[in-house]
Amino acid sequence: MHNVTDTSPNTSIDSTVLDNEPSIRIRDLDFLYGENQVLHNVDLDIFPKEIMAFIGPSGCGKSTLLRCLNRMNDLVDGARIGNGTIEIQGIDLHDKSVDVIELRKKVGMVFQKSNPFPKSIYQNVAYGLQIQGIKSKRVIDEKVEESLRKSALWDEVKDRLNENAYGLSGGQQQRLCIARTLAVEPEIILMDEPCSALDPVATGRVEELILGLKEEYTIVVVTHNMQQAGRISDRTAFFYLGKLIECDQTKKIFLNPNKQQTEDYISGKFG
Amino acid sequence: MSDHKNKEVNPFSPKLSREKVQENLMFGLFRGMTYFVLFCAAFLFWDILSKGANKIFEGDGLINWEFLTEHPQTLHVIGEGDEEIKLSSSNYYKLKDEKILAKWNLFAKSPGFTSNLSDLDNEMIELQKEWTEKSLQFTNAEFLKKERDNISNKFAFWSDLLTDINASARDFEVEPQEIPGLVSEFILGHFEKERSRLPLVETKIILFRAQQYSNIEEPSLNTLKEIEKAYNAFLMKIPETYNQAIKDFGNEVSLTYEDFTLLRGPKEFGRFAEALVAYETIRRAFLDIETKNWNSIKELIIPFKQAMSVSLPSRDYAYSGGGIFPAIIGTLLLVLGAMTIAIILGVFCAIFLAEYGKPGKFLSLIRLAILNLAGVPSIIYGLFGFGLFVIFLDWNVSLLAGWFTLAFMVLPIVITASEESLRSIPQGFREGSLALGATKWIMIKTSVLPFAMPGILTSSILGVARAAGETAPIMFTAAYAKRSELPWEGLEHWTDFFFQGVMALPYHIYVVSAKIPQNEYTSDMQYGTAFVFLFLVIGVASLSMLLRNRLRKKYRW
Repeated sequence: MHNVTDTSPNTSIDSTVLDNEPSIRIRDLDFLYGENQVLHNVDLDIFPKEIMAFIGPSGCGKSTLLRCLNRMNDLVDGARIGNGTIEIQGIDLHDKSVDVIELRKKVGMVFQKSNPFPKSIYQNVAYGLQIQGIKSKRVIDEKVEESLRKSALWDEVKDRLNENAYGLSGGQQQRLCIARTLAVEPEIILMDEPCSALDPVATGRVEELILGLKEEYTIVVVTHNMQQAGRISDRTAFFYLGKLIECDQTKKIFLNPNKQQTEDYISGKFG
Repeated sequence: MSDHKNKEVNPFSPKLSREKVQENLMFGLFRGMTYFVLFCAAFLFWDILSKGANKIFEGDGLINWEFLTEHPQTLHVIGEGDEEIKLSSSNYYKLKDEKILAKWNLFAKSPGFTSNLSDLDNEMIELQKEWTEKSLQFTNAEFLKKERDNISNKFAFWSDLLTDINASARDFEVEPQEIPGLVSEFILGHFEKERSRLPLVETKIILFRAQQYSNIEEPSLNTLKEIEKAYNAFLMKIPETYNQAIKDFGNEVSLTYEDFTLLRGPKEFGRFAEALVAYETIRRAFLDIETKNWNSIKELIIPFKQAMSVSLPSRDYAYSGGGIFPAIIGTLLLVLGAMTIAIILGVFCAIFLAEYGKPGKFLSLIRLAILNLAGVPSIIYGLFGFGLFVIFLDWNVSLLAGWFTLAFMVLPIVITASEESLRSIPQGFREGSLALGATKWIMIKTSVLPFAMPGILTSSILGVARAAGETAPIMFTAAYAKRSELPWEGLEHWTDFFFQGVMALPYHIYVVSAKIPQNEYTSDMQYGTAFVFLFLVIGVASLSMLLRNRLRKKYRW
């Protein structure tokens, strides 16, 4: 077993993000579903405006960690943090002063299976604004257009905003979900295997979109697809059996990983 | 042996085995049972539809609208066999009235009788003219003397009248030519006086209004005495010729005003009769009674009595006539109210169970309770409603009590169905909503409930429609066997609406099937009601399907 502190991520930060304070700081995190511990002692920093990819075999806890970042795990019965802290912009997420509603506005999430609401395209994007109580049609219209443009969907759907979102293709649906997330102006976007249900062409478009969003947002992507991690991420974290094995520049992870386990996984010896 | 040979040749030739027999037997059983169920269902529907159709498609029109729009009534059956006419109470009496009126009209046109009020008025005027002309033929003194001689022996008041006239003529020094007018005025005035002084004469003399006294069964001793008393008074007040009339027709004369069983008929008839009576009284006061032949009066009385006694013999069957309109309305009201209450309570409960409740002992206990509630017999719900709503909360037998009882009865169905519908909504909608910063309630409101609604509504409406067919829960709490007012009639305050009992189809079927003597006519009523009820339930069910399909189309995923 490796000691995670050996691979302190701070030692290998890209120069572009070095001067920044980490946006997300995870320290000594233990996470349990009931009695079943799924994360062990995870330490990880994620920096502003970088794309961080979580890779690892199924059940390694990467999705769980992602869902911890906007406390979606609150929904799961018996899910709890055993030990350690998650801080976003220096604030402990599990502090009593943190309103989970406000947190989720700042930390948006895109799910594995595209899950637009069975409403019109427009209503899907406007949803986050409407539940915040924004009534002005002008503001919402602007925001909807802006979000759809950012998610590269505007040209495809501008003529059928009032049609049901389920009339869109899978890739479009997933981009719509991203647009929906962008509309509430998050700072961090969590993506849980966003392309796992998409064909290669749609995947390509979504990846393109993610790369474009890097300019403005901190993005954490969980992926099974190592090529995808390689294509889009700045840094990659490899998880195995609930432990963070290694986190480093993506290039380094793929070309010259420090740990044997990482190399074995990357080269397809297991997983 | 070719058979044997074939067996050798064909390895797939059929072999009789235990398994094969079993297979055939079981297949036959499955099919037989299914066909049996099908047969029973077909028989049930055929029975209700064919027998119900008797009532629904009875009569001249395509549909027997009366059955759908009338109150339940007694059925009067006139005649036998092919001649048989079935009439509800209201139609029966309408027919009777029509017959009376027709006879009256016929009678009124008979010789010697004025046919209508204006004719009467005209005759009055004629009479006055006649009187005036007659009086002009005499000088003052001659006229009065002649009249006194003529009439004083016959009408006691007549002589008083003439004395009065004499006295007035003297007092006021009236010129001879003014006398006739005065006389006529005095006579009228005197007559009015007589009217008030002798009300008996006024009312008893009314032979025209007489209904056969013999029609009144066993008059009480008091009535008899009163009749005798009035009769005697009557005899004293009227002239001999009238006495003769009373002797002839006495036992057929109703003697006090109240004793008249007023004939059913148009209101005009009453007014007409009254005018006629007034007219006849005046006429007798004015005319020389001897010139009016008693026989002609007799001629009038007899046809009148004949005209008045319309006989329309019928066999009567309670509850078998008319329609079921109040029951249809009552059932619809019960269904709507119970549905509203059940859906509100049920959906709230289901939301708690499905979205908020943390799995644990408490939740299992609630679920167990709900499951048990579903198994409680409907009569127990009836008793529960009776005890809680009718007695304890003092709502009486009322719509409100029925609503709540029915609602509680379907609550288990509604809760279970709603919970299932809520759980069938993809978790992704919830997560998507929460990840956009929605609170739990907003999440439920915007991205769970709207999509679960089709399922909730369909199962709930179906459940309530089913419960609407139950008799037991409403028989103690909401249903009346018969109520002549519709729910919106005769309300003093709008809240009274909720505290009134109603008629209901299932209870009506129960009443006409179990509470009244059975015969072919009641059976028509039972099946007719069942027919309508069946279609009502089918209607509600299809409505719910329609609603679901519409909503589904709106929210597809």
